[in-house]
Amino acid sequence: MKGFVPLVLGIFGTFTFSWVGLILIPNLQIGHLDPQMDEEGTDIYPMPQSGMAERGRHIYAANGCVYCHSEQLRAEYAAADLDRERDAAPEPRPKWGQRRSAPRDYIFNRPVLLGKERMGPDLSNIGKAAPADGENAAPAASPGASPAPSASPAGSPAKASPAPSASSPAPAASLPPKPANSPAASTSPAAAAASPAPAGSSPPAAGANPAPTAQIASVAASPAGSAAGVEPKPGEPAPYSAAWHHRHLYSPRSFSIDSDMPAYRFLYEKRPIAGEPSAEALKLTGRDAPQAGWEIVPTYDAECLVAYLMSLDQSHPLKEVKSAAPAALPAVAPPASPAAAPAAGKGTK
Amino acid sequence: MNERTPDRSSLVRQGTDYGETADVQQVHAAIQREKREPRVGLEPLSIWLIAVYGLAVFFGGAYLGRYSGTFSGDGLDPLGGPPPTKKGAGPQGEQQQAELTPRDRGKKIFAANCQTCHQANGLGVPGQYPPLAGSEFTTGGSRRPAMIVLKGLQGPVTVKGQKFGSAVMQPWDKTLTDQRIADVLTYERSEWGNNASPVTAEQIAALRKELANHPDSFTEPDVLAVPADAELTGGEAAPPRPGEAAKPAAPPPKP
Amino acid sequence: MDATEIPLKPPSVPTDVPTSDVEQIERALIDASTRVPVLMFYTSAIVWLLIGTLLAGFVSIKLHEPDTFSGISFLTWGRLRPAHMNVMVYGWASMAGMGTAIWLMARLCRTVLRHPLLLVAGGGFWNFGVLLGVGGILAGDSTGYQSLEFPPYAAVVLFVAYSLIISWAVLMFRFRRGDQIYITQWYLLGAFLWFPWLYGAAQLMLFVVPVQGVMQAAVDWWFANNLLFLWLGAIGLGTAYYMIPKVIGRPVYSYHLAAIGFWTYALFSSWTGMQRLVDGPFPAWMITASIAATILTIIPVATVGLNHHMTMQGYFPLMRYSPTLRFTVFGAISYTVFSVVGVLISLRSVARYVNFTQASIAYSHLGLYAFFTMVMFGSMYYIVPRLVGREWRYASLIKLHFWASVYGVGLMTVMLLPGGLLQGANMENPSLAFAESTQTILPYLRGRSLAGLLMTAAHFIFAFHFGLMLLGLGRTSSVPTFLNPVEAEGSEEHL
Repeated sequence: MKGFVPLVLGIFGTFTFSWVGLILIPNLQIGHLDPQMDEEGTDIYPMPQSGMAERGRHIYAANGCVYCHSEQLRAEYAAADLDRERDAAPEPRPKWGQRRSAPRDYIFNRPVLLGKERMGPDLSNIGKAAPADGENAAPAASPGASPAPSASPAGSPAKASPAPSASSPAPAASLPPKPANSPAASTSPAAAAASPAPAGSSPPAAGANPAPTAQIASVAASPAGSAAGVEPKPGEPAPYSAAWHHRHLYSPRSFSIDSDMPAYRFLYEKRPIAGEPSAEALKLTGRDAPQAGWEIVPTYDAECLVAYLMSLDQSHPLKEVKSAAPAALPAVAPPASPAAAPAAGKGTK
Repeated sequence: MNERTPDRSSLVRQGTDYGETADVQQVHAAIQREKREPRVGLEPLSIWLIAVYGLAVFFGGAYLGRYSGTFSGDGLDPLGGPPPTKKGAGPQGEQQQAELTPRDRGKKIFAANCQTCHQANGLGVPGQYPPLAGSEFTTGGSRRPAMIVLKGLQGPVTVKGQKFGSAVMQPWDKTLTDQRIADVLTYERSEWGNNASPVTAEQIAALRKELANHPDSFTEPDVLAVPADAELTGGEAAPPRPGEAAKPAAPPPKP
Repeated sequence: MDATEIPLKPPSVPTDVPTSDVEQIERALIDASTRVPVLMFYTSAIVWLLIGTLLAGFVSIKLHEPDTFSGISFLTWGRLRPAHMNVMVYGWASMAGMGTAIWLMARLCRTVLRHPLLLVAGGGFWNFGVLLGVGGILAGDSTGYQSLEFPPYAAVVLFVAYSLIISWAVLMFRFRRGDQIYITQWYLLGAFLWFPWLYGAAQLMLFVVPVQGVMQAAVDWWFANNLLFLWLGAIGLGTAYYMIPKVIGRPVYSYHLAAIGFWTYALFSSWTGMQRLVDGPFPAWMITASIAATILTIIPVATVGLNHHMTMQGYFPLMRYSPTLRFTVFGAISYTVFSVVGVLISLRSVARYVNFTQASIAYSHLGLYAFFTMVMFGSMYYIVPRLVGREWRYASLIKLHFWASVYGVGLMTVMLLPGGLLQGANMENPSLAFAESTQTILPYLRGRSLAGLLMTAAHFIFAFHFGLMLLGLGRTSSVPTFLNPVEAEGSEEHL
């Protein structure tokens, strides 16, 4: 080849061609999406994250969680992602998701953390897998006290559908009877489930009761984060609750001995118990537990990270994507008209 | 490679570094045994290679044609046709609501966006989320609460004598339109015993324009710098406040 | 050769002419002028290679023994892994590539290296940038974007470093002699221009004027993939195009094949990258376009492969003796294997089972190690004696290096490709718990750690040997270090 200039032109041309085709044109197609809204503009999805969840995203990225966990679900014709279940949850186990991920799910995410490897499960809907509000708190001392910071208030502005408290009148009607007995009922299966079992083997009863209990409790008391009326299961945090995440980050193998996840102990600090144990102290057993008089508490980074995890929820239906299950409804039916069947929408909580 | 061999003297003038000399005997042995610099032959293309090219182009092209969905931004399914219709077939469409008042709309917006922190009863969470019921910020002039909703608030703030500050309120200017912000403010200012004037979309639009260059998030001093009774301007004036009758009900609906 | 001399088949006897005195002096002067910058780049690269290899050891072992050194923030797996990748790509691979490219440019432009200070300063800044970047990642400032994890403050330093280096490259090209531009120079010019455009575009679109949502992932993978092909791959191919004909003393088989190979390589491999996002939240067409482009890369792969093969025809036995030839030909063959594997795992039906598994690690190492790193080793074995005036001291160490590397990367591929497929198959089976898929890959990960031990040994051996050369402890000899004793009369001439 003789010409320097044709060579440089060709080098530039091939580069530009690739940039135009793979970046510019797709950016024109999917780079300027708006959130989806209904006609009144009340059911906005997705919402930008803020505060602790946003900071938690950066901690997630900086600690390399993305190298083992993905945040994207493939469609049912492409892979079995949507058939997979959350193995640590009690029956009925929620699936990884109801629909595949779409570009619109990520428009407010920066950095976007789709992930390329799965040594651990996909996390797109891990926040949705959390149990109902009352269980979110590491068992809180008093109702109305500020719960574990990652409980719904911080997390759910990111969700379009707020905590079930908003629509609880309707589900209350369809729940198993004897609400008055539930707090008591929930403790005994809870006690039975207290043995530190590997993920997924807690008896079904323990899983079923606390959720309706929480919903009923939150109807009566002030909603959002109140733990009033819910007895914490001694020893074991509810799967995928904030307390569960904290313990999972601190000591993954305390839940499942085969887990391959690193222990993120540097996100937690050990300090002497001042008077009463703190509300957010981790409940640890066995070799993980600190010596008497000491407690392990999450640092702010840990709380932000868990806030982020609790905010991950792609379950809201999108018009451009087929849902595997019947569309979940916006939980924002005005309380005056509960008849719009939100019960069906409660689905796989 | 064409040779244009330079003369020896120009090589010497280029400079010899590091003790090298131009004396051939001392030239590094490796160079002495080296072959000439590489050059290129001119063999023609083999027909079999052209056949390979053809096959590659065929399969690549066929793959591209088959699995590209609709070539559009919505075409997430490689085998798929057009995506499901965009016209809301969702349940929202089925509920043909009667024409809603701004306050009713505001109530829905509040439930969807604000309730999780400020609570359905407007009382907030002590230490974390300030109350709106009876709050001096909500019920005073309309400028302060509109600023807060548009641009967010961070840092410590004292409402009704209690301190808050561990949470950050996000700005809503990007997710809520002027009409919706106006509606939710109208609702807040007339609910839970509050009795303040409604807010219009034009007022919010004017404020949004005014604050267009303001970076996100006010702090308490910014808000307190605005007089407590400062009303929003722009657009038609808000209807006058209802009379001093102690009616907890909503103000007269906007015409 | 001009048009009147086109042979109809390869000549049966070598037709190179003995090098004239003037040419030899010219080369000596060129080599002397490149000594400091190239050795500086090589030394830095090898130090980074050792650091990256140690990091790799941690990464590999902690993946199957997660409680090793656990709980320490700067040793957590999620930070070590990007640290390892970035040290290897920006520390080892880029610096080795630049070192080789500097020497090749000087030789091929047939001009003494001018403005060495630009290069030395550039190299120094580059080292500083990588150090800052890796330190930032381990301290918890990683950005979370693959191959772009360096925090912005490190990226800026790299940019400054690179502007110094590219100014040098442009000057060299400007003052080159000879009106023909040889194949290697096409690839090197391409690489030197593509890298800053890629890096600059990616930094702009991710950090300065960020794109929205999933486009960030598209930009990220466009960058990461093109970094591999248009920066490192181009340097590797260009180097192979120099070393193979140079060592055996024969012309490259066909100019036409070389030209087609270069342009189709530039065109098609730059369109790959999106296949890593297959089945993700993207319009299907852009993923498929990348898969189609990957299929079309069969064209440059076949072309370049045939070109090298025909050049080497009849001379394969020389691989027994020449370290450079052995490493370089191994690298060139690996390039073909790597590309074929790439085509296979990008097809949607296969990607279903391979996506999200360790198989893609095997694929990247085939490209970055089996192809690029081995070609770089070959070029270092050729160039370093010319810079220090000594020959490599111990043929046995070279052989150990070669075989440890080959078995290392071979074992790694054999472990992770099938292991990844099994992992993917289990992931696709919803009746199995997810943890089953992770359990499946664990024994293969242990095998990979073993492979890592081999590669670690190879690198330390090489570093030691290189250190000897730096200290002037190589052999003084007019005969190069052959890997095996040369028996036949006359075969010495070919080396």
